Amino acid sequence: MKVSYVLVICFILVSRMVFADAAQQITYITFPSLNKPPKYQEDVLAIYGAINHQAISPLFKAYQEKYPHVAIHYTESNTRHLYEQFISQPNMRPDVMLSPAMDLQFKLANDGYALAYDSPELSNVPKDSHWRNELFGFTYEPIVTALNSDILVGEASPLSREQLLNLIRSKNHLLDDKIGLFDIQQSGLGYLAWAYDGQQSRSYGRLLEAFGTHQARLYTDTSSMLNALLKGQIFIAYNLVGAYSYQWSKKYAWIKTIMPTDYTTIIMRTAFIPRDAQQPTLAKRFIDLLLSPEGQHILANQSGITPISTKVKGPYSRDELSKLPHGIFRPIPLGLELLIQTDDAKKQLIYREWDNAMFIISNDSSSIP
Amino acid sequence: MAKATTSIRRQLILMVATVLIVINVVALWSAHIYANRAAKESYDRLLYGSALQMAENINILDSKFFIDLPVSAFETLALSTSDRAFYSIINGQYRVLTGYKDLPNIPFTQLLQQSSEKEKFIPIYYEAMYRGETVRFVALGKRLLEADSVNDVFIIVGQTLDARRAAATEISQMALQFVTLFFFITLLLLLFVIWRVLQPLQAIKQAITERSPQELSPLEADVPSEIAPLLKSINYFMAQLDNTLSRLKRFTAEAAHQIRTPLAGLNSQAQNALDETDEVLRQKQLQHILESSNVLTNTVNQLLSRATLTHRYQSHPFSPVSLDHVIKETCRELVVWALEQQVEIEYLGDIQVTINGDEFALKQMLQNIIENAIKYSPKGSVVEVELMVIDELSETSVVLQIRDQGIGVPDQDKEHIFEYFYRSPENFTSGSGIGLSIAKEVAEHHDARFHLKDNQPTGLIVEVIFPQRKGLSYES
Repeated sequence: MKVSYVLVICFILVSRMVFADAAQQITYITFPSLNKPPKYQEDVLAIYGAINHQAISPLFKAYQEKYPHVAIHYTESNTRHLYEQFISQPNMRPDVMLSPAMDLQFKLANDGYALAYDSPELSNVPKDSHWRNELFGFTYEPIVTALNSDILVGEASPLSREQLLNLIRSKNHLLDDKIGLFDIQQSGLGYLAWAYDGQQSRSYGRLLEAFGTHQARLYTDTSSMLNALLKGQIFIAYNLVGAYSYQWSKKYAWIKTIMPTDYTTIIMRTAFIPRDAQQPTLAKRFIDLLLSPEGQHILANQSGITPISTKVKGPYSRDELSKLPHGIFRPIPLGLELLIQTDDAKKQLIYREWDNAMFIISNDSSSIP
Repeated sequence: MAKATTSIRRQLILMVATVLIVINVVALWSAHIYANRAAKESYDRLLYGSALQMAENINILDSKFFIDLPVSAFETLALSTSDRAFYSIINGQYRVLTGYKDLPNIPFTQLLQQSSEKEKFIPIYYEAMYRGETVRFVALGKRLLEADSVNDVFIIVGQTLDARRAAATEISQMALQFVTLFFFITLLLLLFVIWRVLQPLQAIKQAITERSPQELSPLEADVPSEIAPLLKSINYFMAQLDNTLSRLKRFTAEAAHQIRTPLAGLNSQAQNALDETDEVLRQKQLQHILESSNVLTNTVNQLLSRATLTHRYQSHPFSPVSLDHVIKETCRELVVWALEQQVEIEYLGDIQVTINGDEFALKQMLQNIIENAIKYSPKGSVVEVELMVIDELSETSVVLQIRDQGIGVPDQDKEHIFEYFYRSPENFTSGSGIGLSIAKEVAEHHDARFHLKDNQPTGLIVEVIFPQRKGLSYES
C-alpha cells in the first residue's frame, strides 16, 4: 500500500506537464488517472482555477483516490483571464470553475451559465456560503497587507489602514516605487477587493492618493506580488490573499502579514459547474468533495487555505484564523450585491479614479511587474 | 312493512360535509389568490425600490450621463436571496449605457410617453422570458434636463420569480394547514351535534323495543318539541290499541258465556224431551228447544255480523249513500216480520238525505234498532220511523227517530243498553243483547250520535243524529 502510494506520487511528479504561458500567466497541469494507462480512453475532469496548483493539488489527490479512473486537467490563471476565456470560448468550458473573484463568478452564475446542483454536502457549510444551488463558496480568506519588516526599523507594524497611511507618509520617498498593488484592470480579485474598500472605508481616497504619489507597482496575482516582496522589489503589498501571505510569512521571517484592524475583508473562493460541462457527474463529485468535511479538512491542513466550514480543525481553520490579530471580519456577501462590482459604469468610474491617481503624476512609472 | 328510505343521520352528515368542503375549497382558493397577489405586490415594491434608487443616481454632467449606481439598489434586490436579477440603463437613443445589453420586450413607447408627460415615476411592470427563465421587469423613464437639451433615460430592473413563488406557497400552505384543521374540528363538532340531536329518536326506539308486547302504557321520554308530536301520536295510538284490546277481551268472555248458557239450556231441554213419555208435553219441550236454538242462532248471527262490520270498517272506504232510501228499504224488509208480531211500521218523513258512509253497515244499524223497537212493542202498536232536519244553534243536523210504544227504558238503564249483552233486569224477551251495541258502533263509525228519549205516554225514542259534515246533503 505504502509502496504503491509513493509510486503514485512519483508518477504524478514525473508526468506533471507544466506549461507556463508567459504573457497570460497560464499554467496547464495534468494529473493523470491512478489506475489506467493514459493511452486508453479515460475520464477527464477539466478544472479552471485561480488557485495556486500547489495549494489545490492535495484536493485533486484526494479526489483521484476516490475516483482513480479520473484524470484531472487543471488550468491555472488569473481571475479576469479565466472569466474572459470562459465567456469568449464557449466550446472550451471546463467542468468546474474555481475562482476567488466572487463578482465574476457571481455574474456567470446569475447570467445562467452555472448548473444547478443540490449537493448533499451543503449541510456542512454555512448557509450564506452558497448562492441558489449554483455557486458554492468553499473558503474563508482574509485580504491582508504584507510588508517587509526591515523597513520598520524598530517601529511598531501598522495594524490599521490609518497606521499604514502614517507609515507611508513617514517613510515617504523610501517607498517610491516600492508599494505593490493588484492591477485592478487585470485582476478580478484585485478589483473586487479594491471596489469593496471603496464601499467600506473613508480612507480609500487617501490610500489611493498615497499609492499614486508613490508610484505603486501593479501585479496581476498574489504570487508575483509576494515574489517581488521577497526580492525586495517592493516593501509593502496591499490587499493580497491571506493564505499565501501567511505561508510566506512562515517561511521568511521578515515578511509580515497583517489583517487590518479597522476592518478585514473576507473573500470566499467559489466553485460552480458550467451548464455545458462535459463531465457534470464528475464535476458534482468534485463539488461534493470540496464541501465535505474531508475536503474542508484537506484545505485547512494541507492546502494552507482557510476553509468555509467552521467545524473543521487544523492549522488554517477558521478557529486559528480568528486567533490572529484582526479587525472586524467583513465577508463580502455572496449575492446580488456583487452585481454592482460588475457594473460597467461603476467600473469606468473606479478605473478613472485609479488611472488619475496612478498615472497623472508620473507617466513612466510602469505598472508591468 | 315500512322500508327506511334514507337515514336522517347520513343525509345530515352528507349535507354538512358537502357544505364544509365547499366553504373550505372557496376559502383555500381565495387564500391562494390572496397569497399570489400579496407576494407579487411586495416583491414588485422591492423591484420598484431598486429601480428608483438607480434612477436617483443617474445624472447629466457636461452633456454626458453620469451613472453611479448605489450598492443599496442591489442590496434591495438581494433581499430575495435565491433570485437572479438583471438590469439595464438605456438612453433616449436606445443605447445601453450599462447593465445587460439584451433585455427583452422593453416597452419603449410607453416609457417615452411617460417620461414626457409625467413628473413622477410610474412603474411599468411586465414579464418576459430571459435566459431561460420567466423574469418580472419594472421599467422607469426619467427625463434629465440640461440647459438646452432633453435627455431621456430608461431604467429596467428584472428579477426571477423564485422568491415570490416561495412566499406565495408559504402563505398558501399556512392557509391550507389552517383550513384543514378548521375542517376537521368543525366536522367533529357537527358530527357530535348531529348525534346529540338524533339521540331522542334513538331513545324512543330503545324504549319501544325494550317493552313487552302486552305493555301499552304511554311512553315516558324527554324529547325536544319537534319530536313530541311523534311521541304523542305513538302514545295515542297505543291508548287506542289498549282500549280496543280490552273491549275485545271483554266481548270474547261475554260471548263465550252467552253461548254457553243457551247451549246448556238446550242440552237439558233435549234430555228432558228424551225422557218425556207424554206426547203433548214432549211436543211442547221440543217447541222450547227450537225457540232456544233460534235465540242462539240469532246471537251467533249478530256476533258474526259484528265481526263482518269490524272488518268492513277497516277495509271499506265511504261512498255516498242515500239515507232515506236505505231506511225505507229496511222498513220494507222488516214489515212482514213485524206484522207477524202484530206490530206496524210507519215511515214518516219526505226528505232525501245523502251521506258519506257504508251502506251495508248503516243497514245493519237500522235493522238492529228497528228490530229492537218491534221486539219491545206491545201487540197492535205502531213503530214510527222518521227522518227529519233540525236546526239547532245555527247547526243543521239530520235526525233519525225510531219511536216505539213499549214499556220504555228507565233512566238508570239508558246509559247501559248499548253495552254488549246488557239486558235490563225486568226484560224477559228473547234477544242477544248485542244488536244495539253494534248499532252504536256503526253510528260512531259514521260520526253520528245516539240519543235516548222517553216516548209519550210510554215507550222509547232512539235518536240517531247525523251532524252536518262534508258529504251530507238533503232536500225536502
